Amino acid sequence: MHTVRFRSLLLGTLTSCFLALSGAVAAQADTVLTLVAADYGTGPADSSLKYWQTIADAFHAANPAITVKVQTVNWNDFDTKIQTMVQNRQYPDITEGDYFSNYAQEGLLFKAREVLSDPGNPMPVFTQLGSYDGAQYGIPFTTSSRALFYNKKLFAEAGIAGAPKTWDELMTDAGKIRALGHIGYGLPLGPEEAQAETLLWLLGNGGGYQAADGAWAINSAQNVETLQFMTKLVQTGDTEPNPGTKNRADLLAQFAHGQVGMLNGLTALLPIIKQAGVLTDNDWGTATIAGKAGPLEKTLGVCDFVAAFKGDGSKREAIKQFLDFAYQDKYQVAFAERYNLLPGTTSGAAAFAKVDPALVPFLSALPKAVQYPNAPAWAQIKTQIQQNIGTAIGPDPKSVLDAIQQAALKAN
Amino acid sequence: MPAIKPRPRSLAYAGLAYIVAAIFLLPYVEMVVSALRPANEMLDRTYVPTHWNWHNFVDIWTTDFGQSLRISLEVASGSTLLVLLAAIPAAYYTARYRFLGRTTFLLLVLVTQMFQPTAMLVGIYREFLSFGLIDSVIALILVNAGFNLAFAVWILNAYISAIPVELEEAASIDGASRVGTLFRIVLPLALPGIVTALIFTFINAWNEFIVALTLTTSPATEPLTVMLNSYIGQYQVDWSHLFAGSVIATFPVIILFALIEGKVVSGLTAGSIK
Amino acid sequence: MIAVVVLWPVVIMVRTAFQKISPDGFILGQAGWRNFVFLWQEPALPGILVRTSIWVLTVVVITMLIALAMAQLFNQEFPGRRVARWALIAPWAASVVMTAIVFRWSLNADNGIINVALHDLGLMPVYGTDAADWLGRPVVAFAWMMLVAIFVSVPFSTYALLAGLQAIPTETYEAARIDGAGAWRIYIAITLPLLRPAFIVALLINVMNVFNSFPIIWEMTRGGPGHQTSTTTTFMYQLKQSYIGESAAMSVVNFALVLLIVLVYLRATSVQGRAA
Repeated sequence: MHTVRFRSLLLGTLTSCFLALSGAVAAQADTVLTLVAADYGTGPADSSLKYWQTIADAFHAANPAITVKVQTVNWNDFDTKIQTMVQNRQYPDITEGDYFSNYAQEGLLFKAREVLSDPGNPMPVFTQLGSYDGAQYGIPFTTSSRALFYNKKLFAEAGIAGAPKTWDELMTDAGKIRALGHIGYGLPLGPEEAQAETLLWLLGNGGGYQAADGAWAINSAQNVETLQFMTKLVQTGDTEPNPGTKNRADLLAQFAHGQVGMLNGLTALLPIIKQAGVLTDNDWGTATIAGKAGPLEKTLGVCDFVAAFKGDGSKREAIKQFLDFAYQDKYQVAFAERYNLLPGTTSGAAAFAKVDPALVPFLSALPKAVQYPNAPAWAQIKTQIQQNIGTAIGPDPKSVLDAIQQAALKAN
Repeated sequence: MPAIKPRPRSLAYAGLAYIVAAIFLLPYVEMVVSALRPANEMLDRTYVPTHWNWHNFVDIWTTDFGQSLRISLEVASGSTLLVLLAAIPAAYYTARYRFLGRTTFLLLVLVTQMFQPTAMLVGIYREFLSFGLIDSVIALILVNAGFNLAFAVWILNAYISAIPVELEEAASIDGASRVGTLFRIVLPLALPGIVTALIFTFINAWNEFIVALTLTTSPATEPLTVMLNSYIGQYQVDWSHLFAGSVIATFPVIILFALIEGKVVSGLTAGSIK
Repeated sequence: MIAVVVLWPVVIMVRTAFQKISPDGFILGQAGWRNFVFLWQEPALPGILVRTSIWVLTVVVITMLIALAMAQLFNQEFPGRRVARWALIAPWAASVVMTAIVFRWSLNADNGIINVALHDLGLMPVYGTDAADWLGRPVVAFAWMMLVAIFVSVPFSTYALLAGLQAIPTETYEAARIDGAGAWRIYIAITLPLLRPAFIVALLINVMNVFNSFPIIWEMTRGGPGHQTSTTTTFMYQLKQSYIGESAAMSVVNFALVLLIVLVYLRATSVQGRAA
């Protein structure tokens, strides 16, 4: 019985192999573009595959000679996947997600102006991040900016008038909410996204990861002072316990369930609040993130990029046609709406502001947003910060910052 | 007196065994309960929700879940069959014949087992690229078979070594061929070992994630592990579907086990009657 | 097949350990022993090595002891034995990743079911405190993770031993019983020695599995805070994200360690086997 089953299995798989092969031969007739995109959805129901497939189908209908093969990868695995493909010289034609300046450095990418008719439309503030050696390679596709989310219901219960503007106010308010039996301030310093939360705090004290001249300044005096304040906040019990082990996704969920007084969030928190069904629209609000002496003038802006791989260079025209098509305002707006992010183009942002006025504060923060360092070593330093910054909450923040600074210098 | 004694004792065994079994089920019960929590009760400090949300277990079938389930079944059963076909002769040979470097071979078998596929992703990807097998179920079957073959040979080797050679010699004196003795004497006696190896391979292949993630590029070849992983998003985790899917995913394994477990028992009874 | 699927990547890995590699995987040249030197200089390394030994020893020893007892229990005749055995397979059938995730879920400081139960028993007065945050404190988190590792290793070990027990002919026991041996005496003198092949298989497989165990720690703490709950295997993965060469060096060291364990072990058992 076993052999019979095995034989039929073998037969079945062989047939499917042949089918796959013959399919590949038939498709060879026209240009095929491979698009690999990060998946912004949670679960197959709202996978980004659907978004891109809609565009690919509409594009194919308009340009029958070009077929776009779409593939999406879970965000957490996107980097590894692209890396594996590139290392094996199986270049995708277009990627959307993280952008790697090293691929530009290796000469693997088309310049933005080679594959886009209007390279000025993607938001200028982010083009620096997508550039290497003065030329732009990464094309801003979708963006987000950070703000302080606070639970108005808990604030009212604790007798707090409004969102805190300074660190001291934040600490007092967090203490009052703690007294109600909830987390005062949600501080995600776990390995998932600690580099964002940390930077938002560093900005509040005039610090950052780099000095004005671009040199690494992770262990600067201001930064040490910032971490000391954060330690004080943690030790008084105004945050969740052991923030170095807490990830953003868990705290966002807890905020949505009304268990966190305030935290630094982004527009992606909106659908989470809606799905949880615990807080109504009037129960929460957003404000500018508090700094040491007053609210931040600039917040953190994050951008995901489209990049086009050269391959043998023969597909440039097809890629250009597709990107011009995909960067239409309607698709930019559709993406921002679907995933509660912000558009990556200036005209897309203008169109989006009309569709979703509630997000205008986030949109208007974008043009002056602070960004992560644009240095090839950043990817390495980011993982160092993610893994280790949690241990800086404690008696000796300076030595931890020193160690990360050393790692940064070693990486350079 | 001996007729009365076993009864209360077997009841005590039963009680104890049930308690142990229940302990081992607890985390999965919590998984089911959490999967049934409505969104607004997800983080409540309660043992069970006040409302039960049954549709998570229903609407998961409207996605690619069914297809991924089928692929997982193909991959796991395909690699298990492949492993058994290769491992039984190999284990028999190493158990019965002293050949040069036999210990080396066993050591090699172990060495292969020490590596996590994680350490070798790039190599594996490159390999299957050159075979033209990226994004195919065949590739997943081959990789899983390759990784579990070592274990299977090692397990079977131990069980076959324990079977007295005299039994086989007796059979060959009776005129049975080598292959005949293998099928009629060795295999039935080594059945518990074969079943262990079978279940072992099946479960490993069933739960393999990282290679499948690297080698598949479309929903059409994604096994369950990869599909369920998409419920863990960048900003939130869809706990109810993740847990519902994971619970459903363990059932094929338990069913397989239930079917086979019966076979082992009957095989053993047959052995003792002889 | 083993050679193609498994050994070739090993060769690549060893080669990588001696190369200078950019974070996204481009080979920049030969590195000699530099990656190993960097690894040796990691301040977290001593702690990680100590933790790895504790991890492997504790998990394997406790797993095998529990499995011996459980194999004995589930080998008895009692009503409903088959169903009880099916239930036992759950932790083995479910993916380790999911088991680790559900434990993390149940240990949540604010609403995990384990804390809810402890709260109702009066053992955990306030939610969301340091005391309720099991996975936030490195030592306690590590203990919980060892418990999960034991939890997922026991079923397989039990079945391996159970299969061994069933292979022991009943005649052997009857003979001993006729000679008037007690239950404990029979167990020590007859069952254990005859169980030896199955025991060795289970033990060795456990040593390697537990040593290589990645998902439990990764899903529950990611080796954090810092590297304070990391073992060599998770440390290798943490390094891989920024220092690929050093990570490959770690896996070569890892490999050497397991090889050493296995060699010592094979030597010990073969000597013992000859003596017996």
